[in-house]
Amino acid sequence: MATTSRALEVTVISAEGLRLDRRRPLKKNAFVIVRTNSQNSRSTAASDDAGGSSPAWNEKLVVEMPPHAWFLTVEVRCRANSGDKVVGTARIPASDFVGGDVPANYLHFLSYRMRDGRGEPNGIINLSVRVKGAENGAGAAATCAAAASVSRPWVGGAVVVGKFAGGVVTGVPVWMA
Amino acid sequence: MGNCCNGGGGTAVGGADFSPGGGPNDAVDYFLTSNGHHGLFSQIELSLSASNLHDRDALSKSDPMAVIYGKGRDGVLKEIGRTEVVLNSLNPKWIRKHTVAYHFEVVQTLLFRVYDVDSQWHDLDVKMLKLDDQEFLGEATCTLSEIVTKTYRSLTLDLVQEDESNGSNHSRNFGTLTVHAEESVISKTRTEFIFRCSDLESKDLFSKSDPFLVISKTVESGAPIPICKTEVLQNDLNPTWKPIYLNVQQVGSKDTPLIIECFNFNSNGKHDLIGKVQESLADLEKLHSVGQGEHLSIPTAVGQNHHKKICKSQLFVDKFCEKVEHTFLDYLSHGCQLNFMVAIDFTASNGNPRLPDSLHYIDPSGRPNAYQRAILDVGEVLQFYDSDKRFPAWGFGARPIDGPVSHCFNLNGSSNYCEVEGIQGIMTSYTNALFNVSLAGPTLFGHVITTAAQIAAQALAHNQQKYFVLLIITDGVITDLQETKDALVLASDLPLSILVVGVGGADFKEMEILDADKYGKLESSTGRVASRDIVQFVPFRDVHSGEVSVVQSLLAELPSQFLTYMRNIDMQPST
Repeated sequence: MATTSRALEVTVISAEGLRLDRRRPLKKNAFVIVRTNSQNSRSTAASDDAGGSSPAWNEKLVVEMPPHAWFLTVEVRCRANSGDKVVGTARIPASDFVGGDVPANYLHFLSYRMRDGRGEPNGIINLSVRVKGAENGAGAAATCAAAASVSRPWVGGAVVVGKFAGGVVTGVPVWMA
Repeated sequence: MGNCCNGGGGTAVGGADFSPGGGPNDAVDYFLTSNGHHGLFSQIELSLSASNLHDRDALSKSDPMAVIYGKGRDGVLKEIGRTEVVLNSLNPKWIRKHTVAYHFEVVQTLLFRVYDVDSQWHDLDVKMLKLDDQEFLGEATCTLSEIVTKTYRSLTLDLVQEDESNGSNHSRNFGTLTVHAEESVISKTRTEFIFRCSDLESKDLFSKSDPFLVISKTVESGAPIPICKTEVLQNDLNPTWKPIYLNVQQVGSKDTPLIIECFNFNSNGKHDLIGKVQESLADLEKLHSVGQGEHLSIPTAVGQNHHKKICKSQLFVDKFCEKVEHTFLDYLSHGCQLNFMVAIDFTASNGNPRLPDSLHYIDPSGRPNAYQRAILDVGEVLQFYDSDKRFPAWGFGARPIDGPVSHCFNLNGSSNYCEVEGIQGIMTSYTNALFNVSLAGPTLFGHVITTAAQIAAQALAHNQQKYFVLLIITDGVITDLQETKDALVLASDLPLSILVVGVGGADFKEMEILDADKYGKLESSTGRVASRDIVQFVPFRDVHSGEVSVVQSLLAELPSQFLTYMRNIDMQPST
C-alpha cells in the first residue's frame, strides 16, 4: 500500500536549563530548528534576553514527515559572532506522536532531554506535536492504517536512539502493542 | 594599581558558580507548571429552593426556613447556615446563599432540614430561632461532590421524615429540596504579574547581582509564608522576570499585605537580601495603572528601634492582568468524569492470606486490612465523580490456577473484561481473587500502568471526556524501575494520574523516586521526559486510624494534575 507524507504541526514551546560550554548559562539569541530530514526543516525566531537559560518561543512550525522518516530532530542553536552554535539536540521517535491508541490528530505534549555536541545532557525541550489533516473520520482511519503498517519499524527504530546517544545501547521495552 | 577592575567584563569573577543557576530555574518552572492552580480549594455558594412542602398550617400555608449542616465522619452535625423565612409558601425560593469550602480529597456530607416557622417568631432574626419550637417538615442529605458533578450544578432531593409514630401509614410525600451550587468568582480569578526592578545594588564583590523575587503572605504574629518566587536572572541589575501567577485564594484577599523580597542568589543557599517592599494585590494594581515604582528598603536595627533604609532600587509592575479561568469544577459540571482504577499487589512478600500476620489477611470480624482501607479511602471519594461506577480492577504478581505468573490479571477472574460494579465490587473481587490465585512475584508496575494508559488512550479515541485515576497498592520494592519510568513517561501525555500507596514496613525509597514532588522529573531510557507529574506516593502508615488519612494528601493533588493536563491539550469544558 502506498503511504504518503504527513504534515506535522510542531509548536516549539520552551526549553529549560540550557548552558553553553557546560558552565555558562545561555543568555539570548537561541533559536530552534525542527527537522525530519535534510530537505524538511523549519526554524523559529531567535529568543530575546528575557528567557535566559529557559527561553520560550511558543512558535508553531509545519514540517513534512516523509513515510520513511523515523525521527523528528529538534536542535537548539545560538547565534554568535563566529556563526551558529549547536546548544542541544533531541531526537524524537515518530512512534511518540504517530500511531498508538490515541486519536490520529491528538495534540501530544512532549518533553525531551537534550544533549550537546559531546553527548552530555543539556537542558530539556518542551513542544507539542499534532499530525495535520487527520481531523475527519476517513482521514483518521487512513492515517491509523498507514501508521499501523509501519508501527513496528518505528518502535524498532527507537532502539537506534541508543546508538546515536553516545555509543551506549540501552534496551527499550516495547510496551505499546 | 592594587584596585580591582570590576568593570573589566571578562576579568570579573562571579560570586556564584553559574552552573547551579540553571537548577533553581528548572525547578521553579516545573513547580509552576505542575501546580496548575495554587491552593486548589474553591468556595461554593449554595442556594436552596423547595417544592410541594407538606401543608402544616390549618388556616394558611407554611412559612418555611431551611438549615444547612455539615456532617462529620463521626456523625456530629455542625450548622453551616440558615435561610430566611419565606412567608406563606409551599414552594419557597430562598434568597440567602451559603458559602462552603470545597475539598476534593474528602467526602463532604451535607444535611438539610426544613422547618415551618410559627408566625409568633416572624419578627425574630433567624439566628435567634429555637428549632425545637418549630414544625419539622423534612430533611435531606447528600454529598457536596454529588451537587458539583451535576449538569447545571443543581441536585433535587426528596425530603424525608424519620420516626413516624404511625407505622401503619404508607410513606407520605414531604416534598423536594433543590440545592444549587455556584463556584464563587473570586475562587476562579487568577492574576498575572510581570515584575521589573531598576538599579539593584550589587551584592557580589566583583560582579552584578543574580536577582530573584520571593512573594510571601503575612500571618498574624508569625513568620511570612512564601507563596511564589521568580526564576534567577544572572548578572542583571535591571531585571524583568517571567510572568508569575497568583490566586486571591492563595493570598487571602486583595487587601492582604504581601511581602516582596528581592534576593541575590548564592549557590550555597544563603541568599543576600537586596531589598523588600510590602504591598497588597490592590496596591500592586495601583502601581501598575499609574506606572510608578516602589522603592525597596532594607531593615536596619538601631538600638531597640527598627528603621528601614530606603534603597535607590525600585520595583515596577509591568503587567497586572486578572483573568477568570476554567476550574476543576467547571469541567465536572460540563460532564467530565474521573474514572477510578485499582491495581493490587499479589506478590508473595505479602505473606499467606490465611495467616493473621499477612498483609492480605481477611479478618473474620470484618476489620479491613491495609489494602482494603486504602481502596475504601480513595474509592469512597472518587466514586462520586464517575456516573456508571464501573471500575477496572487488576492484580499483579500472582499465579492464576494452572497459569504462569501474571503481572496484570483481572481481579474479577474474567479473561476478557476488567470492570467491576462499584467500590463493593472491588472489595468482593479482591477477596475472591485472594483465594483463587497463588501469591508469586516479582513486583512489576510497568504492565498495569501500560494497561491503564491504553484504556485512557482508547477513551480519547472515542472522544470521551474522562480522566483516569489509577490506584496502585503495593507492599514492596519494584523490580522494573526503568520500565516503570518508561511507562510513566509515555502515560504523562494521556489523561491519567497514578496514586501509589505503600503498605507494610518495606523500604519505599524507589517509590519516592517515582514521585516527582521529591526527586524531580522522570526520564525514560530513550531520553523522553515526563511532560507533567502524574505520580503521587505515600506510605500507608496511619498514625491516627480513622482521622485525617494520609491518602487525602494524594487525592488533594488530583485537581492540579487534571488541570495541568487540560491546559496542555488546550481542552475547554464542553458546552
